[in-house]
Amino acid sequence: MALIKEILDGTKTLLTGMKVTLDNFRKPPVTSQYPMEKIEMSEAFRNVIVLIEKEDIGSHDCIDCKLCERVCPSFCIYLDGERPEGLRRKRSTKFEVDFALCSDCGLCLDVCPTDTLGYSKVHDEAGYNRSDFLYDLLEPWADKEEAARERLKEIEAEQAAERARKAAARKAKKVRREK
Amino acid sequence: MNRFEVEQDPKSRDTYYLNMGPQHPSTHGVMRIKLHLDGERIISAEPIIGYGHRAHEKMAENRDYIQFLPNPSRVDYLGGMIYNVGYCQAVERAMDIEVPERAEYIRIVCNELNRISSHLLWLGTFLMDLGAFTPFLYAFDDREKILDILDRITGSRLTYCYARFGGVILDIDDVFLDNVSNFCTYFVERLKEYEKLVIGNVIFRERTIGVGIFAPDLAQKYAITGPCLRAMGHENDVRKDEPYGIYDRFDFDVPTQTEGDCFARTLVRMEEMRQSIRIIEQAVSDMPNGLFLAARVPRRIRPPEGDYYFCVESPRGSFGMYIASDGSDIPFRLKLRTPSFSHISAMPAVMASTMLADAVAILGSIDIVVPEIDR
Repeated sequence: MALIKEILDGTKTLLTGMKVTLDNFRKPPVTSQYPMEKIEMSEAFRNVIVLIEKEDIGSHDCIDCKLCERVCPSFCIYLDGERPEGLRRKRSTKFEVDFALCSDCGLCLDVCPTDTLGYSKVHDEAGYNRSDFLYDLLEPWADKEEAARERLKEIEAEQAAERARKAAARKAKKVRREK
Repeated sequence: MNRFEVEQDPKSRDTYYLNMGPQHPSTHGVMRIKLHLDGERIISAEPIIGYGHRAHEKMAENRDYIQFLPNPSRVDYLGGMIYNVGYCQAVERAMDIEVPERAEYIRIVCNELNRISSHLLWLGTFLMDLGAFTPFLYAFDDREKILDILDRITGSRLTYCYARFGGVILDIDDVFLDNVSNFCTYFVERLKEYEKLVIGNVIFRERTIGVGIFAPDLAQKYAITGPCLRAMGHENDVRKDEPYGIYDRFDFDVPTQTEGDCFARTLVRMEEMRQSIRIIEQAVSDMPNGLFLAARVPRRIRPPEGDYYFCVESPRGSFGMYIASDGSDIPFRLKLRTPSFSHISAMPAVMASTMLADAVAILGSIDIVVPEIDR
């Protein structure tokens, strides 16, 4: 008798489960057909870092401060720079990222003083060997570098004029106070 | 004798040794269990770990506190958010860094979402170990919904590096809050479906009730924590016992069962997901405005000289961080106490004199994450 009861109860629970499966069977499929369907990446999506354009300069604003190189936990950023003639700030001449080592932690974005680092929105990168992932971030900006340096000279001249004006005002104030 | 060799006992010809792993699907990673079998009955089981060792603790001694930020979420890739936030909270407490209210609430929401996603993955893989394939697909469908919600603000889907000392990296918006509330209402209904599908099922009950019972003295011997301990009848939860962050402001229960078998652990985890939903709903409704990252965070993270211990409730148990600081910006020692390691050490005692098929069920039910054992 107990055996029959057990069999009946067991069958009932199995049928309950099958009903749940059947209900889900009627629902539309949840899988997205990836290569045929393009998936939108979110705003915050993280991939390899890129240099972002600054509108007033017309190019990136990497000043080769090496903060990102120093904070990187995977040591995958390689930087070099020079101080162009007639400019106060430095400009980077080499900005390479070994994406094969990168862990997308975003610490380099946190420390960047000019906020010129951002994430690439390309999500489907592939390569045949590790050297394919050594990205040169300055490559897209190479032809704009000359113009950017000229533009920076103007910006720095404006800033210098502003500083001189402020210094003069301070001095005048001091002279007035002394009188 | 080489430890990778399997010895044959010449005296007893009826028993034999069998390797489960290192690449057995039910070990959820690379871990080996050396089983001494008599027919299908296990005489003794010896877990052999270390196949996925990545020296996270040693890494901490060679980089500063900020550079260690991506590591904790890689210790346990299923509860990445909780580990990441926990590490930040440990250093914040050591340095007395104030965290803005809004950041605390964001952390709570993300933590609990992460806990649900971890439990869902456990549910799917545990039932797949027992031979049920359908719940695996449903659980992964729901887990995908959580990952999409978190992906929108954190930018990653598994190893979040979202928390920073003094807050979080990005602010949330109304769309995120809407997504979370919609998910909560959806998931409460969905949980009932899971219970109908799984808990009542006769095959599942036969495979789990009375299987893998943790003896009462085991908890103290092996430092069992988390759902495994709660399934033995102890109301123990770090979120309740020593509330960290702002967990003391939320109203939630600690689910317990008394049997301590695989079935009890399943029930505890199912109920825990429901409690997480309760916490999320409260946090979303009270979400304050304000800063998401403290305005004044010291540029160099240098905890004062001394020893600090901080533990958080991870989906698997109590995850502790012991920081020994010598006042510099590199930790002198950072010990990670991971729950899976304690649970796997209890396996010889639990698995002895069970059946081979039950060993798979026991391993699945304690929810081990192999990188967390090896770290």
